[in-house]
Amino acid sequence: MDIPVIRDVLEETNARAAENRELFDKHGVFVVNIMSSPGSGKTTLLSKTIPLLQKRGLKCAVIEGDITSTLDSERLRPLGIPVVQANTEPFGGDCHVGSHLVQAALKHFDLAAIDVLFIENIGNLVCPAEFYLGEDRKAVVLSITEGEDKPLKYPLMFRECKACVLSKMDLAPHLDVNIESFKENIRKTNGNMDIFPVSSKTGEGIEKWVEWLLKKG
Amino acid sequence: MHELYIAQSIISSVKKSLPNNVTADQVTHVRVEAGQLDAVVDETLIFLFDAIKAESGLSAATLTVEIIPVRCRCKACAHEFTLDLPIFLCPQCGSGDVDLLQGRGIRLTGIKADVEED
Repeated sequence: MDIPVIRDVLEETNARAAENRELFDKHGVFVVNIMSSPGSGKTTLLSKTIPLLQKRGLKCAVIEGDITSTLDSERLRPLGIPVVQANTEPFGGDCHVGSHLVQAALKHFDLAAIDVLFIENIGNLVCPAEFYLGEDRKAVVLSITEGEDKPLKYPLMFRECKACVLSKMDLAPHLDVNIESFKENIRKTNGNMDIFPVSSKTGEGIEKWVEWLLKKG
Repeated sequence: MHELYIAQSIISSVKKSLPNNVTADQVTHVRVEAGQLDAVVDETLIFLFDAIKAESGLSAATLTVEIIPVRCRCKACAHEFTLDLPIFLCPQCGSGDVDLLQGRGIRLTGIKADVEED
């Protein structure tokens, strides 16, 4: 017999994401899901971004999704903000942060005392793009050492995100790369993407990225 | 490897969709549609589904995956087009401001079960 059905396969994860969203709304927390390849500079970007938000009086927190260790949480410790490691499996684990991991991490925060929450996703340009976590915005970090073709190879990631941080701009003079080609390929996948060339090392471009984070709507 | 999570989610969706008179071990076919943009590797998804179906009670089920091509509508000139490559530019006017019409998301679209019908 045929059993008639049309059902979203990801309904369970989306339901948990909706519960996360309810909590964020209740406590007025603005949530940004930061995604990228491994080693593109997510943690360093956060370590430069968060002090600028703190300067504006905003209380920040981070859910660290990156696998294998608590190294990233330790790097953020000097900021004096709440950081919860969502994935503590020492030999690696999931390929993405799921809404259930966010839900579990949220229990460790006092959400009423947080204005901006960053979810640093697991380094991977494929899987994290698929899953809604309840966030306000998604942003992708693409370092210029990764090659201009990456947006065309991982289109879902670049379609899903509203902003792309082009990181490690200080390396541009040493690399055989064309920054305009990066931008062109990003716009081929997402014509509405806001692009921010940034160097976390020199501070170039960080202010504009922070302004984007503060922009309403 | 988001396919493993998706395979688990498919099994959970199938179980929730079964009427009272059908048990999981009677399911023979499961059909899903996956958007091309979701970058689901159908061979991997089927392999993983087969690997975990027995422990979930769906041991007789065969999974079929239909990949749904990406279709867009240009917001500037209203032209509708299907993408062969992941380049989201209107072929008519060149605008990059396009809406996605289909090709994203994973849906359970059919279940067959080996049950005597009254």
